Amino acid sequence: MSEQSISDFTRIETDVLIIGAGGAGLRAAIEASDNGAKVVVLSKSLLGKAHTVMAEGGVAASLGNVDSKDNWGIHFADTVVEGVHLGDWRLAEINAKEAPDRIYELEKYGAMFDRTPDGRILQRAFGAHTYRRLCHVGDKTGLEMIRTLEDQVLHRDIKVHDETVVTKIFKKDGRAVGALAFEMRTGKFMAIKSKAVILATGGGGRLFKVTSNSWESTGDGFALAFDAGATLMDMEMVQFHPTGMVYPPGVRGMLVTEGVRGEGGILLNSKGERFMKTYSPNKMELDARDVVARSIYNEIQEGRGTEHGGVYLQIHHKGAKFILDKLPGMHSQFLEFAGVDITKENMEVAPTTHYYMGGIKIDPEDNQTTLPGLFACGEAATGLHGANRLGGNSLIDLLVFGRRTGQSAAKYTKDAQPADVSENDIIEEISRVTGFLNKPSAVNPYELINELRDTMSKYAGIRRTEENLTTALDILLKIKGRYSEIGVAGNVRFNPGLIACFELHSLLTTGELLLRGAIQRKESRGAHFRSDYPKMSEEFKRNITWHMEGNEVKSSFSTMPELPPEMVKIVGQVEGHTQ
Amino acid sequence: MSGNEYEFTIKRKDDHGKVSYSDYSVPKDRISTVFEGLLYIKENLDQTLSMRYSCTMEICGSCAVEVNGKPKMACSTIASSLKTDKIRVEPIRHFDVIKDLVVDLDSFFDKYRKGLPYIIREDYGDYSSELLQTPEQFQKYEQYSMCIKCGLCMAACPIVGTDEDYLGPASLTAVLRYNLDSRDEGGKYRLEAIGTEEGTSRCHYAGECSEVCPKGVDPSSAIQKLRWQVFKHEISGLIRGRRK
Repeated sequence: MSEQSISDFTRIETDVLIIGAGGAGLRAAIEASDNGAKVVVLSKSLLGKAHTVMAEGGVAASLGNVDSKDNWGIHFADTVVEGVHLGDWRLAEINAKEAPDRIYELEKYGAMFDRTPDGRILQRAFGAHTYRRLCHVGDKTGLEMIRTLEDQVLHRDIKVHDETVVTKIFKKDGRAVGALAFEMRTGKFMAIKSKAVILATGGGGRLFKVTSNSWESTGDGFALAFDAGATLMDMEMVQFHPTGMVYPPGVRGMLVTEGVRGEGGILLNSKGERFMKTYSPNKMELDARDVVARSIYNEIQEGRGTEHGGVYLQIHHKGAKFILDKLPGMHSQFLEFAGVDITKENMEVAPTTHYYMGGIKIDPEDNQTTLPGLFACGEAATGLHGANRLGGNSLIDLLVFGRRTGQSAAKYTKDAQPADVSENDIIEEISRVTGFLNKPSAVNPYELINELRDTMSKYAGIRRTEENLTTALDILLKIKGRYSEIGVAGNVRFNPGLIACFELHSLLTTGELLLRGAIQRKESRGAHFRSDYPKMSEEFKRNITWHMEGNEVKSSFSTMPELPPEMVKIVGQVEGHTQ
Repeated sequence: MSGNEYEFTIKRKDDHGKVSYSDYSVPKDRISTVFEGLLYIKENLDQTLSMRYSCTMEICGSCAVEVNGKPKMACSTIASSLKTDKIRVEPIRHFDVIKDLVVDLDSFFDKYRKGLPYIIREDYGDYSSELLQTPEQFQKYEQYSMCIKCGLCMAACPIVGTDEDYLGPASLTAVLRYNLDSRDEGGKYRLEAIGTEEGTSRCHYAGECSEVCPKGVDPSSAIQKLRWQVFKHEISGLIRGRRK
């Protein structure tokens, strides 16, 4: 049995508790602290290792350094149009308007960027952005962002507990008032009492077998929020990035940045045809991600794929010097992992699970969820990207809304009184956690996780049908039925199997809402493609939301506010020439 | 090299500090990297195996381990490239082991922070434009900015092993990265922070750090350049002192 007593826990008190230390969580921490709040950050991985480091191609902001015609309005319109009008226009407006300031701020924090000859931040082309808009440093933009934000956090008075797993959000009188967590290193439990809680937990790419996401992306924030009674939305909207590696098997899904296409890369099928000519003659390889991903998928399905089940991505025509300068990370990634020299040979690529457009529903003005005191930002939140996310819009989302969330949470704490969580509630949760340990004849959580991943990949990927989705939901509910049987050996201290028990719960919640949403949405829109309903339907120009009532999962439809007339005009500029 | 399985031997350390070695057979057709081997063991053979990993594409720097006696990233070490079926995996050296392959990196991050790894300026200006920096100015420090804080250089450095106060290759390289950044005015603070016994003077230029760095940062050359900066700073300090 566990060596520690369940009544052995530390109480921590703070104004703002931030769960997650990726770009959004760190940016929120900086801002909440600068607004006078006492801040505690909890992170499942080591500080500085969050999934944000894996972002490669760039961060979108209409600086107009390369294309001087760019402005916030065009960025806004691109976001709304490519989100197929499912997103919240107000979030898109805030994002586009505040983006340039957030980039200048990050630059002054010390982030490095590739530069124009006259010393300004260089911007590259990306799919479905009207102008060259992505600020970048080679193909390691996310790493540079995390490093910069981490350094800013470290020289502020912000307490970070890394390698710490949160298992529950505490509520009192209908608002979030703290959380229970355990620190992996010591195996010690912490009961955190806070006036506000921010979820910045990222997405859930690991629900699928083939994904570009880090191993931490298991939908933890979705489940924490949902269990606490907050509303989730658009959970069926999962982005498949067009280009992940396909070979060797161990690297399948690993991201191949859109920057390759942004810098002139072309896609070829096994016959050597540049097939995007057929699917998107105007934008070609730089059409929106959903379009390019489906085109690649289709080529492979129709037998024009490569030997390992992908298509070719070619950049060697740009020459070795150009590639080593612009895409050094891609060059070493392919050389090291696949033994392919991209300055001479083609890459093999296929779509990979990349991003959750759906997530926790928030108020666009303050990022508060439907549960008072609980805030969400970054990939954990939803509404900015609609049915399809533009490349580079996630990294800027982290900065813009991380900052705004830090601000509004700090403001909220000025009036909110801290509420005590009873010792009973704490001990009840601790015994739930330790209950997974050393059960006789327990089921291995990894076995169920792998079964779930296989199921989702097989039935709920790029191409969906009623039949497949229903099959997947049946299997998922059976796995869910076995959840109470799982268990692991050992104790709380650095026990990966124990963490897997919680991750399985997060993945089950995420997967169930994804499948139920995908079954309900009888149309094709953005990233959600139903081959039995291949057309977009006006009836579904609305969002599917989810919340818990008692123990029951409830869904309803909600509609986003209409675009005001002045915004219709702005959107019209872009929509005019994309259709 | 002819069998169907890799024989993994993993150094373990339990909660009571007891050290042991565990052996596992991993089918060759199930894995390509050492990380995948560890994951296979954890998911199928022994759920209690503790290790760190996150991105598994050599960008987060979490999975530094010693493979057959050499510090490496588990995720980017191709098993077949080791030219043997016997794969011994141990925690990296020069750090306290928390459990199994997981080491305590606090000392590393503390040393890293000592070098003030951020832009320092009198005036940052407002947020309506960027600080200008030409591509040539950018290239001066670009290579030294590639560090992923994995700790391999610290594990390889013979001085870190014998002198626990030595700041080490990663921290000193970060100092140079910021000192070479044309936007920065904080060089003298950094040189003062590191221009001590624990700084550049300890380095013997063994060069092991540069050999193991997975990102080609070349900390060894960074420390040489930094030592020159420290020297110039000290000389100018002496001259200033004499003029007083």
